[in-house]
Amino acid sequence: MNMMIEVRDLVKAYSDATVVNIPALHVAPGETIGLVGNNGAGKTTLFRMLLDLVRPTDGVVTSKGIPVAHTDAWKYYTGSHLDEGFLIDYLTPEEYFKFIGDLHGLSTGDVLERLQPFTDLFNGEILQQRKYIRDFSKGNQKKVGIAAAALSHPELLILDEPFANLDPSSQIRLKNLLRSLHEQHGMTMLISSHDLSHVIEVCKRIVILEKGKIVQDMQTTEDTLQALEAYFTV
Amino acid sequence: MFGTLLDLQWKQTRRSPAYQKSLVVKIILGFFIIYFALIFIALGFFSHKILAEVYPDQSPVVSFNSFLLFYFLIDLVSRFMLQDLPVLAIQPFLHLPVKRNKLVHFVLLRSIPSVFNLLMLLVFVPFMLRAVVPAHGIGIALVWLASLLLLTFINNFILIYFKRQLTSNPKITLLLALVVGGLMLLDYWQVLSLRQVSLVAFGALLQQPWLILVPLLGLVGVYLLNYRFLMQHLYPEEIFIKRVATVEGSDMAFLNRFGDTGKLIALELKLIWRHKRPKSMVMISAFLLFYGLIFYTNKVYLEGWGMLIFVGIFVTGAPMFNYGQFVPAWQSAHYDALLTRPITTYQYVRAKYLMFVPSILLVTVLTLPYALFGTKVLLINLASCVFNIGVNSIVVLYFAALNKERLDLSNGSAFNWQGVGASKFVMMLPMVLTPIAIFLPFSLMDIPQWGIFALALTGAVGILFHRQLLGMMAKRLEDRKYTLAAGFRQH
Repeated sequence: MNMMIEVRDLVKAYSDATVVNIPALHVAPGETIGLVGNNGAGKTTLFRMLLDLVRPTDGVVTSKGIPVAHTDAWKYYTGSHLDEGFLIDYLTPEEYFKFIGDLHGLSTGDVLERLQPFTDLFNGEILQQRKYIRDFSKGNQKKVGIAAAALSHPELLILDEPFANLDPSSQIRLKNLLRSLHEQHGMTMLISSHDLSHVIEVCKRIVILEKGKIVQDMQTTEDTLQALEAYFTV
Repeated sequence: MFGTLLDLQWKQTRRSPAYQKSLVVKIILGFFIIYFALIFIALGFFSHKILAEVYPDQSPVVSFNSFLLFYFLIDLVSRFMLQDLPVLAIQPFLHLPVKRNKLVHFVLLRSIPSVFNLLMLLVFVPFMLRAVVPAHGIGIALVWLASLLLLTFINNFILIYFKRQLTSNPKITLLLALVVGGLMLLDYWQVLSLRQVSLVAFGALLQQPWLILVPLLGLVGVYLLNYRFLMQHLYPEEIFIKRVATVEGSDMAFLNRFGDTGKLIALELKLIWRHKRPKSMVMISAFLLFYGLIFYTNKVYLEGWGMLIFVGIFVTGAPMFNYGQFVPAWQSAHYDALLTRPITTYQYVRAKYLMFVPSILLVTVLTLPYALFGTKVLLINLASCVFNIGVNSIVVLYFAALNKERLDLSNGSAFNWQGVGASKFVMMLPMVLTPIAIFLPFSLMDIPQWGIFALALTGAVGILFHRQLLGMMAKRLEDRKYTLAAGFRQH
């Protein structure tokens, strides 16, 4: 079986520092992986390389056996939201969802139906606001981005700190939403977060990144939270 | 305190990304600035001669005065279209122990040293030295100049007051333009002569210098108006924060016929419509339609060929050059989104191409009336149109791959050098020189008509192979995408 993501000898070095150095990382279809690590650990850079937004200094990333660099095939089954740069902020959320839906051949009805599970998360503040995305708060922008990433029911979902900027209720709703998306569609997920308890609840496998290297790679168990807290306690 | 604020303002300018350009760009910009400054100075220097020729029966000063009121009205209209509110960088001081009235005075006075206020001095001062001083003496001349400056500042503060109240309402601008146009017509039909009024008013000023009190009082008035308004509204959400725009624009369903490329075009049209910078760029492009008049009305140019080809290329391609020079940086804020979505680079490039082509066709149709200056002009413009579609559109896309600077779309485009790099100037060279180079051999052989034909033919070949050429440009953009994406992420 092809791996959803396979990383081999991946290195990203800027003139003075190596920010990512991962000899191997395999993500099987249907896995949910939580990526944790302090600021500067290289999480976002790793995600950008998975999405072919940054050219690796060395090594390859393959998705379903095909290198992601300069190919388009993975874009059809990968949904992602890293930061505001992924939003087309002069559109209204509806226009944006429609645009993304169109790219994946979804009708307006499909889009509405797929946004249904997001009703709670949106909390009545996203749709029918007659506002451009750029005028929304950071938290609401994040909700738009996550919904757009999941809209096509991608096989692979990549989210960078989805819980940041969200209020506590929204965090809990998002957690449940991600779990149900995984259960219903078998989505493979790669999620980075600073919130250890949330990420453990959503992900069955935790990868700790430190200074660009994978220092631990473990399956989530009852003791994982303790282990993580112990690890991050200075 | 004022000194500190000024110092900070200076640092802000010095350290802004727009200022930190490469030496080459600075030199080129400097060259352009000097060039235009010289034109204005020359205009001021020789206008008394020109006026004496056109209106031999009155003194140049009187003729000059008669145009001043119209000049200030037109100045006001163009300010409404082009001038932005001065950037209000005082938000960080509002919570500090700084007197509010100081901040307000600072904001207002800060608006005076700007291109819009000082540019015309380049004309006024030479004219004063050459014509007003000899006729009325240095003292009166200085009063005359001072009152012109005061009127300029009055315009400045009127603009600031209205823009702050209404943000920028195109309807008001249009109304104002219509009023001024109407006054000009009335003047032309000699129903109500504003020129006569202007002549009398400024003539009186020259006789009785104390009348300078009138514009001075006017300036104090508008200044106080602004001051009071700002003092009462010194809350970030009332004056600093952009007003949340109401949603406009529709689906543009007809573009769906073109599939994914059509959707990309619709997306981009919304981008143009919903941001200040591209919108004002469209407006400037509309003005450039009249660029031809400068040349077509001059016999020297009309008899030659070379200059007309330059004008033809420039006029029919103006919107494409204006907009295309910043492709793909227009989308710098969400370039990552485009890269991770199922859009191929070819589709992306093709969408740009399919925007360029109609823009060129539209402009060409709009410039058809230039045929009144002769069929030669018409032929050259049609050939230029074909050449722009076939060749220059590709050149624009070729240089697009060099635009790795993030573009700030929220400011107007007049005098806005943010994101302007050396490649913008370099790209003008092949676009203008290539057509001349194609034309030149035929001109030397004394068969210029064939040169125009060759120009059109080259364009046609480009159109014929546009798929292959677009493919090459897509490849080039693809190769540089990491550089572009990394550049766009830098604020």
